[in-house]
Order: sequence, then C-alpha cells, then structure tokens
Amino acid sequence: MTDKEVVIDCRNVVKTYGSFTALNDVSTSIHRGEVVCVVGPSGSGKSTLLRTCNGLETIQGGTIEVLGQHMPGTRKELETIRRRAGMVFQSFNLFDHMSIRENLVLAPITTLGLDRSTADQRAQDSLDRVGIGNQIDKYPNQLSGGQQQRVAIARALMMQPEVMLFDEPTSALDPEMVGEVLDVMRDLAAQGMTMAVVTHEMGFAREVGDRILFMADGQILVDQPPDTFFTIPTDERLTTFLSKVL
Amino acid sequence: MNFDFNVLTIHYPAVLDGLLVTLRICLFSLLFGVIDAVFLCLGKLSGRGAGYRVSVFVVDFFRTIPEVVLIFWIYSCLPLLFGARLSAEISGILALSLLVAANVAEIMRAGVQSTNPGQLEAAMSLGIPAHTIWLRIVIPPALQRMSPAFVNFLTELIKATSLLSTIGVAEMVYQANVLGNRTFAYVEFLTLVAAIYFALIFPLSLFVRRAEARLVAQKCR
Amino acid sequence: MAVLDELIEISYGCAVRVALTLTLVAVVAAGVWNLNWDTVLNLDFTGLWRFRVAIVKGFGMTLALTAAAVLCGILLGTLLAIAMQVRFRPLQWLVIGYVETFRNTPILVQLIWIHFALPVITGIPTTAIVSGVIAIVLQASAYFSEIVRAGIQAVPKGYWEASDALGIPVITRWTHVILPPAFRTMIPPLVNMTISFFKTTAILSVLSVGELMTVSGRISNATFKPIEILTLVALIYFVFGWLISLSARKIETAMANREAWR
Ligand SMILES: Nc1ncnc2c1ncn2[C@@H]1O[C@H](COP(=O)(O)OP(=O)(O)OP(=O)(O)O)[C@@H](O)[C@H]1O
Ligand SMILES: [Mg+2]
Repeated sequence: MTDKEVVIDCRNVVKTYGSFTALNDVSTSIHRGEVVCVVGPSGSGKSTLLRTCNGLETIQGGTIEVLGQHMPGTRKELETIRRRAGMVFQSFNLFDHMSIRENLVLAPITTLGLDRSTADQRAQDSLDRVGIGNQIDKYPNQLSGGQQQRVAIARALMMQPEVMLFDEPTSALDPEMVGEVLDVMRDLAAQGMTMAVVTHEMGFAREVGDRILFMADGQILVDQPPDTFFTIPTDERLTTFLSKVL
Repeated sequence: MNFDFNVLTIHYPAVLDGLLVTLRICLFSLLFGVIDAVFLCLGKLSGRGAGYRVSVFVVDFFRTIPEVVLIFWIYSCLPLLFGARLSAEISGILALSLLVAANVAEIMRAGVQSTNPGQLEAAMSLGIPAHTIWLRIVIPPALQRMSPAFVNFLTELIKATSLLSTIGVAEMVYQANVLGNRTFAYVEFLTLVAAIYFALIFPLSLFVRRAEARLVAQKCR
Repeated sequence: MAVLDELIEISYGCAVRVALTLTLVAVVAAGVWNLNWDTVLNLDFTGLWRFRVAIVKGFGMTLALTAAAVLCGILLGTLLAIAMQVRFRPLQWLVIGYVETFRNTPILVQLIWIHFALPVITGIPTTAIVSGVIAIVLQASAYFSEIVRAGIQAVPKGYWEASDALGIPVITRWTHVILPPAFRTMIPPLVNMTISFFKTTAILSVLSVGELMTVSGRISNATFKPIEILTLVALIYFVFGWLISLSARKIETAMANREAWR
C-alpha cells in the first residue's frame, strides 16, 4: 500500500482541552484506497483524531496534511478540504427543517455551483446508491435511524469526496438497523473509497479494514492488519479490550 | 348597581381611537425596536470587544429597570438633556422601542445559540460557506424556536402600552379614565377596556402555549 | 458553543466587531454633540442627599410590596394550582377563568379597576395602598399558579402512583411527595417572577402608594430637577434587580452541582 498516494498524514499530533491531553503525539497516515478502522475504549480520543482531520478541532502540536494540504490553512483552503473529505457523524446531524432532497443538494449547489437539475439527478443517484432512492421528498424525522444515517452518507457522497471519515456511524442505531448501514459502507469500500472508520463493530473492522488502529489514552498503541490484530495481540491493553468486546 | 350599556354605545368611538393609538404604538416600537435588537444581538454574539460589552450592559439594563421608570425618564429627562421637545407619544414609542430592543435581542441570541451544534458541524464538514450556513441552517430553525418567546413578549408589550397613559398618551386606558371622569361610568369603561386587552392578548397567549407544547414534543421525539 | 464561535469567526466576526464599535462611537458622538451642556453642567446629584430618608423609605416600601406579592402569590398560586388538579370541572373552569383574566390584561387596568370601579360595585372604598396590594397579589397569584402548575406537572407520574399504592393520605401526599420536588424545579422561574414583580411595584405609583417611584415623583416635583432623581432611581432598580438575577444564577449552578453529586 505504501506506494499509493498519502491522503491523510498525521505527524506527532497533540490535542489538549485545558490541562487534559486528548491526543498525545499521534502519528499515522492513510493511503488512497485504504480502509482504516479505529477502535478503542471510550474517551481514548478516537473521535478527536477524526475531527482534527476535518478541521473541526484545532491542534496544539504536530502537523496534519489532508490531500496534500496543510490543516487548517486559510479559511478558503479549509472549506476546500472539507468539500473533498466527507464526514459522517454518530448522531446523523441531518438538517431537520429541510427535506431529504434539500439536505443533499444544499452543499453542491452552493459550493460546487451545480445547477438545480444536475444536483437533483446527483441526489437521486446518491440515494439509490445507499438504497433509499424512494424517500427523496420526505423529511428526516419521517425516516428510521438507519435510513437517516444512510441519507447522511448520501449527503457526504454528493460532494464526490476523495476520502470519507466515519465517527461511530452505527452507535446510535437500534441493533436491527446496524446491518443496513454497514452494508452501504462495505459497498463504498469495495468501490475503492478511502475511509477512516471509528467503530465498535469488530466484525466489520475485521472484514473490511485494511488496517486497524487501537487507541487508548490519546495514543495509537497498535496498528496492524486485521489478521494479526486479532490473532497476535501485541499489547496487554488490547488483549483486555478485545476480551471485553468480542 | 347596573351595568349601563348605553353610555358605552354613545362613547365607544373614543375608546376605539384609544385602541388605534395602542396598536400604532405597538407597531412603531416593534419596528424601531427590532432593528436595534438586531444590532444588540450581533453585539452579544460577537463574544468580545466593546460592542459585546456595551450590548450586554444595554440588554441587561433595559430588561431590569421597571418600564414606568424608563417611560418617565425618557419623557421628562430627554427633552432637558437634548433641548428637544418630544410629544408624549414619541417619548412613549422611544421608551417602548428600547424595551423591545433589549428583550428581542435576548430572544434572538437565545434562538441562535440553541442551534444544534451537530448540524453546524455537518454543514462545516460539507464546506458550505458561512453566509449559506447562517441563512439556511441557523436562522430558519432559530426563528421557529424563538416564536413562542417572541409572541410572549408581544403580550408584555401590549400590556406595557397601557403605562403610557401615565404620561398622557391618549391610548385606551387614558381614554377610559377621561370618559370615566366625564360620565362617572368607571366600571363600564374600565371593563370594556379590560375586555379589549383580553381579546388582543388571549389569542397570543394561546399561541404561546400551543407552540411551547409543540417544541417540547419535538425535543422529546 | 465552540462550533458556533468558529462560525462567527469565519463570518467576518472581526469586521462585525469593528463595525459595531464604530457604530457605537458614532452614536455616542452624536449624543454628546447634541447634548444641552447648560443642563448637563448644572446637574447636581449631591442635592439628593437631603432626601436620603425618603428614598430609603420608598425603597423599603418597594421591597415590602415585592415580598407581599411574591409570598401571597406563591401561597395563593399553589392553592390555585392544587385546585386545578381536583377532578371537578366547574372548579377548574373557575380557576382557568381567574388565571387567564389576570394574565391577559395589564396590571394597570386591574389596578385602576380595583381602586375606582370595585368600590362602586361593593360600596366599600379602599385606600390606595390596599387597592395596590390587592391588585399585585391577585396578579401574582395568577402568574405563580402557572409556575406551580408546570412544576407539579414535571413531577413524575410514578410519584402519584407510588403514593396511591402506599395509601398515603391526600394532605401528606401533597406536602411530602408532590410539592417538594415540584418546588425544586420551580426555583429558576420563581426567581424570574420575583424580579418581574419587583419591577411591577413601580406601576403602583400611579396610586401614590409611597414606594420608590412615588417618592421620586414627589422629589422631582419639589425640586423641578427630574434628571437626578430619576437617574438615581433607575440605577437603584437596576442594581437591585441585577443582584437578584445574579443570586438566581448562583442558586442554579449550585443546584446543578448538587444534582451532579447525586
Ligand atoms: N470539548 C471538549 N472539552 C473537554 N474535553 C473533551 C472535549 N471533547 C472531548 N474531550 C475529552 O477528550 C477525550 C477523548 O474524547 P473522544 O470523544 O475523542 O473519545 P472517543 O474515543 O471518541 O470516545 P467514545 O468511544 O466514547 O466516542 C475524552 O476524555 C473527552 O472527555
Ligand atoms: Mg467518539
């Protein structure tokens, strides 16, 4: 994989909240086409790492490069990077006062300058891709949790992102809806999307991930491909963690 | 005693004149007040600097002093300080505009600051430009959330217009007093005026109650 | 909220700040330019010193009226709220009619009605202070009953069911099960209402009941200098009201901390 272009590159990243260190000297990189899953106990800094990569958190030390662009950069540069990197949140964060269609076309029309009909067409395509093409004129609160999360993925896809960041996309869902969202993500991975996925779904990580990162206390303790990650645990805390979640 | 409808049928046009003045005062003080409120709200949202500190003080000050004090201060002090003559009605509109500005600024600020941070993050992560985020993501739901508090304040404003009778503005209460003095039919005129206020304010109160219940239901879902 | 602050920063936050400051400077400059310096230079706040006793007495009256409104208001308001819970339709309609009448008409109208119209009906004249207290207490009871009602409704259904299941007598149920937690959730709105009625007492000055606003009117009539006394009175009201809301915020955070402890 190392011959491929680097999409996200974190070097010695430090993130603090007051006196609390959420990310402590974190270095890692993600290459084009790679699917990297991030696991670890609650509060270990997984979300924080992902959010710094999208400029939603400022960092106190180290450097982050996304798509060859230094973060956060100027306001325009940051906006451009955010358009090229899609983000999906645990709590969906759909715009409740807009229909699904408006949720999807708002960003491409206002940022990429798409005209209405192209945007509508692209919205239909994105929704078809996540399997809910018939829901386009509903409002978010008329959909189930799993459907809402798929709309959120479709909304990110509208910008035709080069990399997608998922922050526990299935944690807020009822168990029976987890599968439908994971299926969509599996398809994306199969189509070659570069993805960073924070998740508690070990089965998904094992099956889809090219690499799995284990985080604890703001550090990446383990970075292994799935087969060795689960079978040859090199870290004591990972062993404890796995014994709890598996 | 007997409730004398006769006196009402003779003198009701004066009460209606008063009603017109009441409504006119509400309208103008809302108009001027809301414009000021936008500035004060911007000041409070801006978070630091002179504009912020002054806005915070102005909002707190005019929300904390009694309306009558404000009305009398404007009516009797402003002309002395600036050497300009103001009619009672203009003074009243000025005082109530300040009342509107402070209260509506606070309502707007609360509306904006209760924006769902997750939706803001989603909008930012899509790279949507700032002005679009304000116009499409922040303001429309904020207006909706703010509507009960705003209408509730509207009821307070209508009630506050009655206080302008104390500086001689010829609104409803003033007219009722004048007519009462002239005909000794205090009960009739005061009751009529109370009923008119009730008819103006009660529907708004009902709206507030419904809208609040709706917002609570939305939050629980 | 961090994201909102970021949005404000990238929305030309700096430019807005500068523009607001410039507007402020312009407004102040225009004000100063148009000031009538004769009046300003002749302002004499020290002259108010000889009215200190009257001012303090007036403010004492204001506080007494506020206390009367709040205490009687809470008491009557609680009774009204309990009456609303009694399953007897005519009583409920009566309470609703009372509460809505006093909430949806101006206190000034109620005040004049009670002072001038009520004696015509009852034949019993009331003094200004009696009319004033009646009016403010009646309105307070209507407003406070709404707060108490909301507080009672916030008590979980399980409390009612549990006290029924345990066979707790009606009075004990109210005094020990329902009202204590209800009052705890009511503290913030109660304090806001207290500030509101603190302001309302000034309206009673139309009947010259002798509270701070009445006193200031007398002083300004006696001295022909309204600016000094009205400004002082406005500041007194502001500082005191601000102190109440400050203590309210203290209580709220203290309560939040206590909740967190449990
Ligand atoms: N805004 C903030 N202010 C202060 N501390 C914060 C803030 N955001 C996160 N933290 C702290 O940073 C640490 C890492 O948080 P983060 O959300 O990244 O954890 P996580 O690994 O995603 O956990 P989870 O699995 O529960 O989502 C936590 O201890 C959290 O308390
Ligand atoms: Mg997280």
